[in-house]
Amino acid sequence: MNKCTDSNIQEMLPDLLHGKLPADARERVEAHLATCDECREDVEVLRTVKTAAVFAPQIDVDRVVRQIPPYRAIVPVTERPASTRMVSWLVAAALAVVVVGGGSLVLMRPNAGKVQSPVASTELPPRPTATESTSGVSGVQNGGISVKTATSTAPARPRALALAANVDDLSDGDLVQLMNDMSRFDALPASEPDPVIAVDSGL
Amino acid sequence: MTPSPEGRPEETDMELIDRWKAGDSRAATRLVGRHSEALARFAASVGEREGIEELVQDTFIRAFASLDSFRGASTLRTWLFTIERRLMLDRRRAERRSRETVPVEESDHVSEYGALDSLIAEEAQERVRKSLDALSPTQREVFTLRVQQGLSYKEIAEVVGSTEGATRVHYHNALKTVKEFLKDE
Repeated sequence: MNKCTDSNIQEMLPDLLHGKLPADARERVEAHLATCDECREDVEVLRTVKTAAVFAPQIDVDRVVRQIPPYRAIVPVTERPASTRMVSWLVAAALAVVVVGGGSLVLMRPNAGKVQSPVASTELPPRPTATESTSGVSGVQNGGISVKTATSTAPARPRALALAANVDDLSDGDLVQLMNDMSRFDALPASEPDPVIAVDSGL
Repeated sequence: MTPSPEGRPEETDMELIDRWKAGDSRAATRLVGRHSEALARFAASVGEREGIEELVQDTFIRAFASLDSFRGASTLRTWLFTIERRLMLDRRRAERRSRETVPVEESDHVSEYGALDSLIAEEAQERVRKSLDALSPTQREVFTLRVQQGLSYKEIAEVVGSTEGATRVHYHNALKTVKEFLKDE
C-alpha cells in the first residue's frame, strides 16, 4: 500500500464525510481517493466510527425544556458618571482641608481651650514603707496612683502633677513643680496596673 | 440558512435564542431538540455510561442560564460541548472522591443501560467502542468531536481548552491507534 504524503487531503477526510467541503475541494479529495490506498482505508475507518456511533440514550426534549428557568436579563450595574465621582472626591477633599485647617488654627491660638478644659491631676502617693511593700497589699488601693479630675479654676494645688490636660493652664511655678515631680519617677506607669499578687499572704 | 421540512427556512441558533429571550418557550424546545442528541452521543463516546440524560439536561440548564454571555463567536453547539465537557470533568472528579471514601458495591458495576446496550449493539458498535477505549481521554475527545461531530480543529481546541496544533496531533495519533485496533480485530 502506498504511503500518502498529502497531509492537506488527509485533514479534509472527516469534513468529506460530514459534507462540509466546498464543491471544488470535494472534487479534489475524491480524485485523490481514486489513486490513494491509504486515504481510502482512512475514509473507511472514519466512516465506521461515524456510523457506528456509541449507543446513547434518547433525550426527552420536553422534560429538559421544563427544567429550564425562564429568561432573566442580566441588568448591568449602572456606574455613576465620572463627573459625579469627581465632584464627590472634591467635596471630600474640601471637607478634609476645612477640618484639618480649622483644627490647626484652634490649637495654635495662644489661649485655646482655656475655658472648661478638664485637667487631670495626679497626687503623688506617699512612698510605701518596707512593711507595706512586703505585705503585698500595695498597689491600687493602698499606695497606687489615684486620678482626680479638676477644672482649670482650681489648679493651685501645691504638689499637683498634670498628666493629660492643657499645659497652658499651668503657671510657671506649676510647670517647674511638674518637671521636678517627673524627674522623681523611676518609670512611667503602664496603662493598666499589674495584677496584685499576695506574696506573703499565706494563701 | 437551511430549509426546514415544512419548506420554511430554518431559523439559526441565534434567532432562536433571541426568540427565547423574548419569551417564546417553543424556541427553547427547538434548540434542545436540535442539539440534545449530539450532546448525548458525545457524552457516550467519551465514556459516560450513566446519567447521560441528566448530564444533557444540566448542560442546557447551565447554558440557558448564561446565554447572555454567549456572543456567537463560536457555534452554539461548540459552546454546549464546552459546557458539557466541564460538567463531565466535575462529575468524574466527584466520583473519584466518592470512590475514595465509599466502598463500591457489586451492583454499581452494572451500568444503567449496559444490558440493553449489549442486546441491541451491533458488532461494529462494539468494535468501535473498544477501539475508542484504547485511546487516552484527550485523544478520545478530540477524535470523537472530529469524526462523529464533524467539528473543526479550531472548534475542538475551544472545547477541550487546547491549541489547534495539539488537537491535530491528538487526532492523527488517535486515528492511527483506531486503525490498528480495527485491523487486528
